Amino acid sequence: MQSTASQSLFFHRRDPFGRFVVISLIGHGVVLAGFTAFSLFATAPAIDLDPKPIKASLVRLGVKRDDKLLPRKDEVPPPPAEKPAPAPTTRQDLMHALDKAKRTPSESKDDTRKQLFGAFNKMSKTAQVEGAPDGSPDGDSAVQEGERYWAELRAQVHRYYDVSQTIPESERMHLRAEVAIKIGSSGQLLKVELAKPSGNSLFDQAVVAAVKKASPFAPPPDTLRANLQSSGVALDFRAL
Amino acid sequence: MTAVLAALAAATLSQVPVIEISNANFRPMPLAVAPPIVQDPGAKAAVAELDESLMFDLSATGIFQLLDRKSFLADTKEGITASSINFARWSDVGAESLVKTQVALADGNIRADLRVFTVATGKEDLKVSQEMPPKDARRLAHALADAIFKFFTHEPGSFESHIAYSRSAGGNKDIWLADWDGRRAMQVTEGGLNLLPAIGRDGASVAYTSYRSGKPDIYFQRPGSKPASIVKAGQMATGAAFSPDGRRLAYSLATGDNSAQIWVAKADGSDAKVITNTPFFINSSPSWSPDGKQLAFVSNRGGTPQIYIMGADGSNARRITFQGNYNQTPDWSPRGDLIAFTARDERAAFDLFAVNVDTGKVTRLTQDQGNNEEPSFAPNGRLIVFQSDRAGAWHLYVMTTDGTTQLPLPEEKGEYSTPSWGP
Repeated sequence: MQSTASQSLFFHRRDPFGRFVVISLIGHGVVLAGFTAFSLFATAPAIDLDPKPIKASLVRLGVKRDDKLLPRKDEVPPPPAEKPAPAPTTRQDLMHALDKAKRTPSESKDDTRKQLFGAFNKMSKTAQVEGAPDGSPDGDSAVQEGERYWAELRAQVHRYYDVSQTIPESERMHLRAEVAIKIGSSGQLLKVELAKPSGNSLFDQAVVAAVKKASPFAPPPDTLRANLQSSGVALDFRAL
Repeated sequence: MTAVLAALAAATLSQVPVIEISNANFRPMPLAVAPPIVQDPGAKAAVAELDESLMFDLSATGIFQLLDRKSFLADTKEGITASSINFARWSDVGAESLVKTQVALADGNIRADLRVFTVATGKEDLKVSQEMPPKDARRLAHALADAIFKFFTHEPGSFESHIAYSRSAGGNKDIWLADWDGRRAMQVTEGGLNLLPAIGRDGASVAYTSYRSGKPDIYFQRPGSKPASIVKAGQMATGAAFSPDGRRLAYSLATGDNSAQIWVAKADGSDAKVITNTPFFINSSPSWSPDGKQLAFVSNRGGTPQIYIMGADGSNARRITFQGNYNQTPDWSPRGDLIAFTARDERAAFDLFAVNVDTGKVTRLTQDQGNNEEPSFAPNGRLIVFQSDRAGAWHLYVMTTDGTTQLPLPEEKGEYSTPSWGP
């Protein structure tokens, strides 16, 4: 049976908290001392602060390609069997061989100059290279240039390709006319002629007017200049 | 791109390269209409009317860009023959075609000689001569405009046709019959509430709905004559529409306890037959297809008012509008392709739309200009007359079928509503 005195807030009891604090402080001190001693005597492993990030991306597998389309390993062709140099047969050959052997180790002044200018030549040639880096190594800039010119010509004429709304819808589907033009070296219109009329005078006038209003054009590229001046180009107009 | 490749391929074969250019920009043709040359001072007033009507007709088509007369000065020496015209001057002001008219008095009539020239070539394309009494100067202008329209489009014009409409004045709403442009209007009814007219095949008579007996009935009348009742049965008969051949009349009629149904009768109202059978749903506003074999109408059988089409005997009814919840007043184009109708859009404004009968594609024709209702196609299907309150009161407007050109019709006092375009 517990006395009421032991429940009273005024009754002084022995407190276990003070002993716990002392033990805890001693324990913490030991652990701290242990870490300090470890850090003084042990060397930490070096940490690379500039690691290259490793990137991984998830991709969906494409359709399986035909084996013959897969890149093949280039097989190194077998080295050609070394042929022994033919023995000099004549006196001239012998002299030539000797001369070559003499020049090979040490280069003459002329060769040095040639090499120097050759380097400049190379540099200048590099600067002249045109086209897309993934373009044909044989070069296709002339084709591209021509293609670009036709596209520009077409766009410029189309800008002025205004046709009267009075032409009935039923007729528009069949309207087609061809205009032959010749273009000078600076892009000026040398000749415009209705080569194949549509049969609708309004449409025919509109296509000729479109060409006249669109001129002068850009100067043609070198590859097209002569042809555009002599034989020209035909513009095939369709209403729709 | 294909064209360019074709051109390149041809170039490599050392032939003339060909570049294909398609998709022309279609735009209204710049047209100069020179002021008419008046040969008799006595014809001046008639010529002014003729000139005004001709200009209005041509501007309403939407296919011409009429050059402002302020941009060119009339050369008094210039006649109407090619040899007397300085075409370079017309070309300078941007004209592609030129209309020249000369008007003279001949035996009490006014005689108009009209020429159309291609400005670039100076070629005379069209030559028309017509004469009419001076009081019909506007009708003469419509005939000339029709000739010009037909020359350019190879289609008949609609400028000699008529419109009928209801016009309010002094507490009454009367039916009027006018030229297509609202001019030369004649009052058909006298007093009471009259609306929803439909023009007869002769272009000079009107069937309409009138409340003169206390309930809506359908009457037939010519200006200056007495009305003839053609549908007086039931509680409510409205929205008469003549078939394209003028022999039959479709209308909406409510009888007994039933909702309004579509009926088809002979043009005089005899031999009437009901062709819809939805007693609990309303069917109204019939409009004939150009071949007279089908009818477009409004029904709320699907829950909301929508446009339906069916055979002229009531067979094969099918719904053709599925957007919006309030579509009404259909009018079938005489070209057959479109049905124009009034719809209440999402902002509760009434606007005009057109649905393609074959594809079901809906095109908006009016927007942001008040309320626009009651469309009616011109006999050639190229223009639409409708009522709009964009300027305050209800008035009539005319527009091209794509809604690009919209012009108000001349107006006098009162409000104009329920227009109908007929022969």
